[in-house]
Amino acid sequence: MAPPEQPHQGRVTPPVIAPGHTFRSVTDKIGGIVLTKRTPIGWFVGFGIGFIFLLVLNVTIGNLLVTGIGIWGNNVPVGWAFDIINFVWWIGIGHAGTLISAILLLFRQQWRTSINRFAEAMTLFAVACAAMFPLLHTGRPWLAAYWLFPYPNTMGLWPQFRSPLIWDVFAVSTYGTVSLLFWFTGLVPDLATLRDRAQSKGVRRIFGVLSLGWRGSARHWHRYEMAYLLLAGISTPLVLSVHSVVSFDFAVSNLPGWHATVFPPYFVAGAIYSGFAMVMTLAIPLRKFYHLEDFITMRHIHNMTKVMLVTGMIVAYGYANEAFFAWYSANPYEAFMMSNRMTGPYALFYWTLIAINAVMIQLFWFRKVRDNIVLLFVLSLLVNVGMWLERFVIIVTSLHRDFLPSSWDMYAPTRWDFAMFTGTIGLFLSLFFLFIRFLPALAMFEMRTIVPEAKMEHEHRG
Amino acid sequence: MTAQTHDGAHLAAPRDIDGLRSRALIAGVVGLVGCGLGFVFDRDHFFRSWLIAYLLVLGIALGSMALLMIQHLSGGAWGVFRRVFEASSRTLPLLALMFLPIVLGMGTLYSWTHAEHVAADAILQHKAPYLNVPFFLIRALIYFAGWIGIAWTMSRWSRRQDEGDMSVNKRLQYLAGGGLVFYALASTFAGIDWIMSINPHWFSTLFGFIMVAGHGLSALSFTIVVSTFLSRRAPMENILKPSHFHDLGKLSLAFVMLWAYFNFSQYMLVYAANLAEEIPYFITRISHGWQYVALFLVVFQFIVPFLLLLSRDLKRMPHRLIWVSFALLAVRYIDLFLLVSPEFASTGANLHMVTGAHESHFYVHWLDLAAPLAVGGLWLWMFFTQLAQRPLVAFADPYLREAMESTGGH
Repeated sequence: MAPPEQPHQGRVTPPVIAPGHTFRSVTDKIGGIVLTKRTPIGWFVGFGIGFIFLLVLNVTIGNLLVTGIGIWGNNVPVGWAFDIINFVWWIGIGHAGTLISAILLLFRQQWRTSINRFAEAMTLFAVACAAMFPLLHTGRPWLAAYWLFPYPNTMGLWPQFRSPLIWDVFAVSTYGTVSLLFWFTGLVPDLATLRDRAQSKGVRRIFGVLSLGWRGSARHWHRYEMAYLLLAGISTPLVLSVHSVVSFDFAVSNLPGWHATVFPPYFVAGAIYSGFAMVMTLAIPLRKFYHLEDFITMRHIHNMTKVMLVTGMIVAYGYANEAFFAWYSANPYEAFMMSNRMTGPYALFYWTLIAINAVMIQLFWFRKVRDNIVLLFVLSLLVNVGMWLERFVIIVTSLHRDFLPSSWDMYAPTRWDFAMFTGTIGLFLSLFFLFIRFLPALAMFEMRTIVPEAKMEHEHRG
Repeated sequence: MTAQTHDGAHLAAPRDIDGLRSRALIAGVVGLVGCGLGFVFDRDHFFRSWLIAYLLVLGIALGSMALLMIQHLSGGAWGVFRRVFEASSRTLPLLALMFLPIVLGMGTLYSWTHAEHVAADAILQHKAPYLNVPFFLIRALIYFAGWIGIAWTMSRWSRRQDEGDMSVNKRLQYLAGGGLVFYALASTFAGIDWIMSINPHWFSTLFGFIMVAGHGLSALSFTIVVSTFLSRRAPMENILKPSHFHDLGKLSLAFVMLWAYFNFSQYMLVYAANLAEEIPYFITRISHGWQYVALFLVVFQFIVPFLLLLSRDLKRMPHRLIWVSFALLAVRYIDLFLLVSPEFASTGANLHMVTGAHESHFYVHWLDLAAPLAVGGLWLWMFFTQLAQRPLVAFADPYLREAMESTGGH
């Protein structure tokens, strides 16, 4: 069978799906991961590691609720620390999913097809991890709804609508809801496939309920595609809005290092950058372990690296911009903030993040690097570290030495801060392992549209 | 219509272009006469009006060059517009020449050029290592050298591609990658130098993004206008499909949204923080009549084009889309007008913190109409000259087949 795409003259672009696949082989391969009775031993190992850290999270939350948020290291003047750092970090990671599923769909980028499903799942799990931090930071999460959501009440009490923290509540909850709908809508035809292929009655029943009576009729497909496009349209502004609102949390303040008009686009770029790094971190072991190299091809790896390069360059531009304007503003507090970042007690963190996010990413310019899977895996992990450090530097260095030298202090996280952070990584991993075991990690029905067989009948979709 | 023919003769520009060229030249000369009168009788206003008009056409040229580089890097369905982008970017040498009046007018445009003014102002003394005449000129030289160098090299390699030399494809990509980095940095600093430093106390870290969004929006609008003209004539009438306009329309919509997003973010953050070093910029623009210009922009550079461009049918009908694009170009001019003019509303010194607010009322000067005629006319003349020099389709583009087959979607 001929390869699905003719390479362009003078360059060889890897295909979005390896040659030789048919409708059946795609469905067998992806559906087989879910419908098999034999769970690979490696899955248990991976899930087990995630689950142990999930238990750590449970212990931490238990202690937090019994003792109070004093178990964390944040205190005046650093009133915001790990909780917000990790919140922003996780929310940022979630962005790649929405970008891949919504914007790349609207731009008709075919290569999104094999990575969109698990990137969307990643988004949901990342949002779940992110949401835990502000909720638990309230100390009494069962009262959080009462504090956070505006509802008409006899006391005439309302949250402060001028505070971006309240906008955040809406932005993140909208984001979570739309991402969930988008993900589930995308799953429906695949759930029906699994229902039809399930061997045991129980499994068939579960997938039967979840697939909402999908029969795959022409009318179903027609409405389905329309709904999917509309959801993509609704999700698109969310890619920009959520992290912009997160950046407003900082930027509306008067604090040097937080108040910068560049924050919204710079945060959004950083979010997409870290999100793609996480997709890469997950995709590289996934394709290796389940032998999905035919579906998650070098084309995907290349393109994701290029997206990381572009967004990483925007982030680096943001750093340069902040440094230049700290001087150009002629504001002594801005200048001090910058010199404190560069030479103060947390300077090591600053220079590490610059080394990763501004220097190391220049490696992505090179085809040789984009071809080296092992190196890319390491680099994508480093990008996650770099973006975490970026949030640490922005949040902690701006707070710990503000306008009044008498109130300066240092911040150090406690063991419970680390337990909470690693615990959410455990939650994320546990959910992700459950997802790849029980749901199709790649969109089967969409993959079927890119095999050569599909091109014979209808050339264009959408 | 065969894209594979290795000879561009049948893709030559239509003859009507010559008519447009001469009309543009006439308009330019008429405008120049007006500007000459302005130069003699009202020199200060001449420089300001020239700067605003200049920024508009510079934005089209630079935006086109950036879109061209993105096209080289990403391929994609807008390869059919490559020659329009290339012709725009080849106007940069003329734009360098048209920058000279701004150099001549530095003294009236930028208060930091006056030593006695700087001596009385601690902030300007702090900024003097950056805001001084020699360094300003050196930077301008660097920007133009870089931009012209990139545009010229891309144009040369593009010609080699037409001649069948496929080895340039790879090099074009490398150049585009580095070129975009240079473009982004140079556009940011050019924005700081030529616009932001009119009010040398003010700063906004988002300004570079606002520049780039403006470039993209004006370049896309201009490309839609020119391509609509071309799509009614041979040879492009069979090549440009509704789907191609649909793609440009979608990008225009994206840039309309980006423009609004950047400007809203900047306004909201400065408004909320309300800091003495930032807020005067907006106070100037939301009082004394300028607020109506600002509101006009909110409505006509965001709300109306946003709602119109949502329509799939509109984006696929070039004869309608062209009006939205025309309007967007006009509104871009007003946007630049609002970036520059209010700073000069207080006569003499533009530091409204110093002078009284009573002199800050909204005004439009007759030179604000003559200067765009001069700058725009001359620039269009150059653009059409450049456009006519090459086949209208980059027929050797490796992505072209994909671009021509594109049916557009959604």
